[in-house]
Amino acid sequence: MAVTILEKFKSISPAEFFYRNKEIAGFSNPARALYQSVRELVENAFDATDGHGILPNIEISIDRHPEKLNVYRITVKDNGIGIPGEYIPEAFGKVLFSSKYVLRQSRGLFGLGAKMVVLYGQITVGEPAEIISATIGSKKVYMYRIAIDIKENKPIILHKAFWINTTNWHGTIVRVSIEGDWGRAKQKILDYVRRTAIVTPYANIVFKTPDGDVYVYPSVTNKVPPPPKETKPHPHGVDIEMLKAMISETKAETLLDFLASEFQGVGEVTAQRFLQTYGFDPSKKVKELTAEEIEKFVKCLKEYNEFKKPRADHLSPIGAELIKIGLKQILKPEFVEAVTCKPVVYEGHALIVEVGIGYGGSIPPSDQPIILRYANKIPLLYDEKSDVSWKVVSENIDWKYYEIEFPAPIAILVHVCGTKIPYKGVGKESIADVPVIEKEIEEGIRYVARALKQYLLKKQREEEALRKAYTIIKYIPEIASALSIFASANPEKIDQKIFEAKLFEMVKSKYGEVLKNISSVRDVVIQSE
Amino acid sequence: MSMSHLYTSKVDQKIRIAITEKLRYRFLELAKAVLSGEEPKMIIPKRTLSNTVYDKERKLLLLGSETFERRFLDVREVRKFMQTLLMAKIIYEALKNNEYPTIRDLYYRGKHTIRYRSFKKSIEEENTWDEQKESDAVLRDIEVYVGLLREDMLILSKEKGKVVGDLRIRSGDDVIDLSKMGHGAYAIEPTPDLIEFLDVNAELVLVVEKDAVFQQLHRAGFWKKYRAILVTSAGQPDRATRRFVRRLNEELKLPVYILTDADPYGWYIYSVFKIGSITLSYESERLATPNAKFLGVSMTDIFGDKNKKPYLSEEERRNFIIKAKKADIKRAQELLNYEWFKTEKWMKEINIFLEKQSKLEIEALTGKGLYFLMDTYIPTKIQTGDFID
Repeated sequence: MAVTILEKFKSISPAEFFYRNKEIAGFSNPARALYQSVRELVENAFDATDGHGILPNIEISIDRHPEKLNVYRITVKDNGIGIPGEYIPEAFGKVLFSSKYVLRQSRGLFGLGAKMVVLYGQITVGEPAEIISATIGSKKVYMYRIAIDIKENKPIILHKAFWINTTNWHGTIVRVSIEGDWGRAKQKILDYVRRTAIVTPYANIVFKTPDGDVYVYPSVTNKVPPPPKETKPHPHGVDIEMLKAMISETKAETLLDFLASEFQGVGEVTAQRFLQTYGFDPSKKVKELTAEEIEKFVKCLKEYNEFKKPRADHLSPIGAELIKIGLKQILKPEFVEAVTCKPVVYEGHALIVEVGIGYGGSIPPSDQPIILRYANKIPLLYDEKSDVSWKVVSENIDWKYYEIEFPAPIAILVHVCGTKIPYKGVGKESIADVPVIEKEIEEGIRYVARALKQYLLKKQREEEALRKAYTIIKYIPEIASALSIFASANPEKIDQKIFEAKLFEMVKSKYGEVLKNISSVRDVVIQSE
Repeated sequence: MSMSHLYTSKVDQKIRIAITEKLRYRFLELAKAVLSGEEPKMIIPKRTLSNTVYDKERKLLLLGSETFERRFLDVREVRKFMQTLLMAKIIYEALKNNEYPTIRDLYYRGKHTIRYRSFKKSIEEENTWDEQKESDAVLRDIEVYVGLLREDMLILSKEKGKVVGDLRIRSGDDVIDLSKMGHGAYAIEPTPDLIEFLDVNAELVLVVEKDAVFQQLHRAGFWKKYRAILVTSAGQPDRATRRFVRRLNEELKLPVYILTDADPYGWYIYSVFKIGSITLSYESERLATPNAKFLGVSMTDIFGDKNKKPYLSEEERRNFIIKAKKADIKRAQELLNYEWFKTEKWMKEINIFLEKQSKLEIEALTGKGLYFLMDTYIPTKIQTGDFID
């Protein structure tokens, strides 16, 4: 969508375009801007760490500006791969439209990330952004203070320094001052960090708020999901703009070579057969295709059914194990289950749905399940009710069937990952109810809900057994006391405790397993003396 | 044992030792089972209407042969299991301590709070029993389980029944002459089995439902004039009165006549004396007097029949008869279903009542005249055999 709007603004600088359309990038008001800035910087931090197999160590802090009202200094520090010194100004000071056509599942929504934050800070506050970075193995640590020349779309370097990397540190620290509204953004930002922590249980996250509160989410595992890999586009997932970009970058000469080398799952044989079917000349120079030919080519690519299905091995789902660990660690539920569904295809792109469920424990009971939505590991916090997950949870599923009566302490996590996600609206905060995704989410939820039902039924049975066992145990001292009195001269006194132990053994051998946490009658009955 | 036994009667001391051992022996079985790792259980005769059998031969309401198991590991029975043992313990300790508890005492002694952690970890409280109904119920269970009546276990209850007549008895360590009670009467002790009959000069026993009528007949010298032992149950008879009447009949061979109001409640009082009650059918063997006769007041006494002139004139009937209430009618219909009321005379009696829907109190006869009751009504009925057996 952004791409087609951009067409019309070719004449102005990309920086200026985003300045004029900042609400598209999520900077519509000071509260939203603060939230969006934290997000962009944190997501970059994750892409620089777990995106490269590094266990993330991320520190976020938001401070009130010492002099200026409603100005906040956001600092995000990571231990990622770092940015080579010479690239730092461009990476943060020049807004680019990505022309790369390789596809990769990544967190960033617009490919703008930190640049937008720098730009926004510059517009609202006017202080330079400060970036400190060192790559892995770098002998130096670089520091830049930069601004963006909006008209020219290039970085202005205000200060530059480096020092010797004595500690072998690598990573990036970004510090930007922006106008914000902590009071109104607070809850969303706290939610965002917390929800991020749920799906990154392998990360250490420390968050210091302007109020001085410090939230620590320590890592509880050292398993990082494999980083997403780059992949070539599948023929079904290509549009005209993309094809143009691919043609301009390819080294292939003929149409046949182009098709066989630049697309996913297309070899020489398939390419030959496709071109034959639609009457394209295999030896035609690819760079000489006319606009009409390109249009027809895209149409045919979409139509042809003999291509291999899009692969999903380049995607990086969180994985059921990590989802369970994350839910357990953050929500502290009594029951947790998760599933990673098989990959499906949406408009030529592979897509994986993952669902997790948490029940009981510290989860507060509510009239609807709490829904934790994620797209490519990013928490979605706004527009919940227009999301496909909401529809599935509140309309498609009959929770009574799963032994759930509301209000119930239940949380559902839905993660959709893929190279193309059908967002609803410009804010990219909710996913559209595309049938294939709806079906996957529903199946995923049914899978984890079935596991929950089994658990609840088992728990009910155990509670029933426990209730019965306690009903008997609570009377033991009274019974033992009477028995010891009747046995008192037989021939010697038999202590009440002996009867208690014997009776307790009987209850234990009848109810067994459920009583494993009780070692004596006195764990149940409280002596009045 | 304390010094207190120095002042208790010899007969109490003797029975106390025997009963204490019997009670202990029965419950020792449960202790032994537990020590050898077996689940303790009591097999107790059922005290339900369905397990109440009317023995036509002996004319007694008896406990049937059905039993139930009260097991420790049975979730539905374990509370009662605990209550039964608790009650047995209290009775046993009272016996050993030379005490004479009432059922109210037993209730209070056993009532305390069990505090425990529920399986959901909350602290809960539960009383061993809440109402006396509960402790009374397990007491009855112990009576049938051990085969001892509460009187045997020296559990006392309020004295209700009274007796006068030319009879000398030993109660405790004392000899009491029941013909020398003045205007008062001897209150029948709760343990009538410990009474010893010494000598008697009487021909019959008259049991009167109403205490006031008893007093009138006593002061008018009825028992002297007609050589009777005069007893009142003052309403529904308690166990002691029933056992006492039974012994008068069985041991002294005196015929027993019962005089009640002419209504279904009066009839039921008679039947409790004669054959036993449903709730206490296990005691009938010892409490019922199968030979007791219903002297009146009967429906034919009021209305007459083809061979009999009524004792009341038309005008007296108009004055004395009370219209039967709905509850009376219902009760009468229930009685028709009881095996022991299914005799020709009783069917006739009940059917007249249902037809006339009228009842009458004994006081109506004293209203007509105390001496009419004493010198006409009672002697005539007995002499002419005008009673229901």
